[in-house]
Amino acid sequence: MARAIWSGSISFGMVTIPVKLYGATESKDISFNLLHATCGTRLKQVRWCPTDEEEVAWNETVRGYEYAKGQYVVLTDEDFEKLPLPSKHSIELSGFVEEQEIDPVFYERSYYLEPDERGQKPYALLLRALEKKKLAAVATITIRKKEQLCALRPQEGVMMLETLFYPDEVRARPEVEASGAKVTDREMDMAFTLIDLLRKPFDPTEYNDRYREALGELIEAKLEGREVVTSPTAGDSKVIDLADALRKSVEAAKKGGNGKPASRRAARPTARRRTRKVS
Amino acid sequence: MSQAIQAVVEQLETPQQRTTLTVEGHELPVTNLDKALWPGAGRKKPLTKRDLLRYFARVSPYMLPHLADRPVFVTRFPNGIAGKSFYQKHWEPVPPFVRTVSIYSSAGDENGAYVIAENLATLLWLGQMAGLELHAWYSRTERAPDALRHGKRFTGSEAALDRSVLNYPDFVVFDLDPYVYSGKEGRGEEPELHRRAFQRTRRLALRVHEQLARLGLETWAKTSGRTGLHLYLPIVRDLDFDAAREVAETIARHALREHPKEVTVDWAVERRRGKIFFDYNQNSRGKSLAVPYSPRRHAAGTVSMPLRWDELESVYPTDFTLRTVPDRLAGDGDAWAGILDRKQDLSAVLGAGRTG
Repeated sequence: MARAIWSGSISFGMVTIPVKLYGATESKDISFNLLHATCGTRLKQVRWCPTDEEEVAWNETVRGYEYAKGQYVVLTDEDFEKLPLPSKHSIELSGFVEEQEIDPVFYERSYYLEPDERGQKPYALLLRALEKKKLAAVATITIRKKEQLCALRPQEGVMMLETLFYPDEVRARPEVEASGAKVTDREMDMAFTLIDLLRKPFDPTEYNDRYREALGELIEAKLEGREVVTSPTAGDSKVIDLADALRKSVEAAKKGGNGKPASRRAARPTARRRTRKVS
Repeated sequence: MSQAIQAVVEQLETPQQRTTLTVEGHELPVTNLDKALWPGAGRKKPLTKRDLLRYFARVSPYMLPHLADRPVFVTRFPNGIAGKSFYQKHWEPVPPFVRTVSIYSSAGDENGAYVIAENLATLLWLGQMAGLELHAWYSRTERAPDALRHGKRFTGSEAALDRSVLNYPDFVVFDLDPYVYSGKEGRGEEPELHRRAFQRTRRLALRVHEQLARLGLETWAKTSGRTGLHLYLPIVRDLDFDAAREVAETIARHALREHPKEVTVDWAVERRRGKIFFDYNQNSRGKSLAVPYSPRRHAAGTVSMPLRWDELESVYPTDFTLRTVPDRLAGDGDAWAGILDRKQDLSAVLGAGRTG
């Protein structure tokens, strides 16, 4: 498992449970670096002071809060240290709620909590008690100098910690016109039928990030020195055997016949314009 | 040389700048016969409109079969290849010996008259208007023998045209266009003809030819008359333009995968640099490539020359000019003669399921 991002203890009445915190999710998005187009050099971010017209080192910076346009109040590291952080290195449980009471909009990030050796027994006790009662604990935790609201909930034998947004971080619900619309029983039945038809257990493994996959393939192809071009149909680039590929295009074309999809037709005028050249 | 052609060539011997030619019984006034259309260079004399008309007359027996029943576009260069040119599709009025066909055009939502160049007089009439470059559709108005089930109505709407025989090309075509620069081009100029670029294009064409031959498909090659090569795959007319384009794209992308360093199918001209543009996009109704034996806008007076595959290895585009081609044809004949008798049924050759 990855490195713990935090270690401390859960305070639960008279009991303390030493635990470590691990991130439960990670974004797999492919990230890019900005290069200079003409020479390929990776660009450097420069902290630039437009007044002195010079680059500024980290140790010459302070944090300013813009309280009015162009007006700042400056906070130093010492200022930050003076802030009260009661839940430093401890997860303070403040109450128990039913999990459904917490609307998913409040969930910010998910972490796994693992007990230290000494904490195994009380960890198991809290976990099982919450499982039996089908409850979640509301708590606070200080991560990276910031106190955060969080919820502890059991999930398949592991205690999850979900950091939560504070209520003022969740935007007000808009008034949606549709909620007052009238629907007939018949319409309702139709909707039910459709829903029942598509009803199935949630299986996240059925879904994958197709954009990321395509992006990954594109990068690999570039690495292999191949010229990369957009493929008009999914899977097209995997066809290696020409005879096979041609057979497929002829078959597809014939199936299309006169009832060809409009998109094929519609896509063409652009192509026409762009190949305006005399050969 | 047939008597009609002989007669035209003799009439063009006149020292006059203008005359009225009698062509197979039709009268065709011609003017500015000594106007230079291709500039001279060094000891080479310019090629004039008289030379162009003489050329058209002499190659007509070989060229007209490739124009039969096909709407043509003409690029006219009234002041020669160095001057302004314009692309003409629609003609009205036309002399009585010129056949036209009315075809719907979505651009103006109206029918327009297209010329079908089916006789010597029409060819010379286009030459008289300094129509140097002749482009013809890959589809024909004539349905026999392989497109009898398609419609013959070309007017009124895009849908009618979609259903018509004009939507079913005789060929899948490729334009191999080298974007290999000699280094002497000015900024923004297209690459000029040079040995290394042509050699690479030729090599690619031969590979594609061999590859398709292994699948049992016969392709035909001609010089574009400029820097590259055109490949034609004659097909039975049961695939429409969209399908032909898909077949072409499949072949082009295959070539790209096989020869990634040589081939590009990129839209952006800048990214084609150093590679051969494997252009499959010309497979589209209303698009056209220069017809066999059409002169091109190249200083050497080159024409688009049909070749046999065994010749390709030893030729260079400038071998084929308005000056050299008529004699060569008189000796060797048309390398593409009978191309329409060699149409291939892609479904049958490839063993594709017959569902259409």
